Amino acid sequence: MKRILMMLIGLTAFPIIFMSCTKDVVKNLTTDESRIYITDHDSTVNFGNFKTYSISDSVAIIQNGKSSHESSDVGLAYINAVKKYMDQAGYQMVSREDNPDLGIDVNHIINTSTGVISYGDYWDDYGGYWDPYYWGYPDYGYYIPYAYSVYQVKEGAVSIDILDLKNASEDHKINVIWTGLIRGEGVFNSSVADSQVKALFDQSSYLKN
Amino acid sequence: MKKIKLTIAGLIIIGFAMPAVAQNGSLKLDLNYNYSIPLSGFKNDLVSNGSPRGFMGGLFYSFNNHLSGGLSFGFQDYYQKYPRTIYNLSKTQQISAVLTNSIQVTPVLLKAKYFPNANSFLKPYVSLGAGANIIDNKQYFGEFGNSQTNVGFRAQAGVGLMVPFKKSGTSGLNVGASYDYAPYKKYGYKDLNNVNIQAGVVLELR
Repeated sequence: MKRILMMLIGLTAFPIIFMSCTKDVVKNLTTDESRIYITDHDSTVNFGNFKTYSISDSVAIIQNGKSSHESSDVGLAYINAVKKYMDQAGYQMVSREDNPDLGIDVNHIINTSTGVISYGDYWDDYGGYWDPYYWGYPDYGYYIPYAYSVYQVKEGAVSIDILDLKNASEDHKINVIWTGLIRGEGVFNSSVADSQVKALFDQSSYLKN
Repeated sequence: MKKIKLTIAGLIIIGFAMPAVAQNGSLKLDLNYNYSIPLSGFKNDLVSNGSPRGFMGGLFYSFNNHLSGGLSFGFQDYYQKYPRTIYNLSKTQQISAVLTNSIQVTPVLLKAKYFPNANSFLKPYVSLGAGANIIDNKQYFGEFGNSQTNVGFRAQAGVGLMVPFKKSGTSGLNVGASYDYAPYKKYGYKDLNNVNIQAGVVLELR
């Protein structure tokens, strides 16, 4: 009886002890390490053909398929960071009324009531978040010429989209030619906005005039 | 999942049936701490760090002084975090991330041990085993992970030494090493081959 008890203890306790020692991946990441930066672009576009850009003056807060626009300190920090790195890439900022070649939107996608939305869903209603009228093309729709992967967005993300306004009249649509997505711990914070945007531009060496 | 359950059930039935068929002899419980070192494709493609988080155990029936056989089981947790790098997800899509591979392996093997010098105080042995390898492969970009569970084949060849607690005793300390062949032809990977170093106890149950 004693030996059977010993066997049972050994057979159950030993595996439990070792299985509980499994290294927790997320707990072993720093805040910076938790973040990911994803970029995608239209490979048929020569980004050197664009000279000027305009950026939205507010950030779209997208939640549960609905959006509102907010001019918060954090949003402003992201907008300023995008301006800084667009300028460094050789583009010139102009106002919306001056027919910019490129339009730039900044979005904050936040948690949903169900806990999960996909980035694919985000694109489905893009015209609802950024009325084409904002960029001076009220009758046009948005189009993404490349296949964007679907990512599950659980706890928030910041996305930046660059739109081709230069060829919108000719194409009768507004092509989204570059997207950047920032995800991870604490990304919607003004103190990190510059470094987050820099990371997106650093991995997009083709984005220059 | 059904395939996994059937494989495990089959191995457990065979493992426990062996002592019953043999009818006599002693039943021993092996419990060992296990340190594992990835090799070849495992080391090159997934994890190169050694893993200090594992165990290897088993229930063995002694058919005679030289030969014992039974069911061996274990668990090993492999982990490696790679510095931030830019990876191509497609021709146009890039991701900058800290990549972490976290792999948990649970081998369930039918195993035989042969003791060439059964009458000496120190009992060296060689072992051979084969069976199932339950693999839980998690890969994380930053804090965002994907998990895939598969069952593969695993074969093991080992050497070891049993040091009895007392003269003519059948319980004692165990030290050993093994080479484990574990093909893993999934997602472009080749194998999860590894070498293992074990230390623990052998306890006679009856």
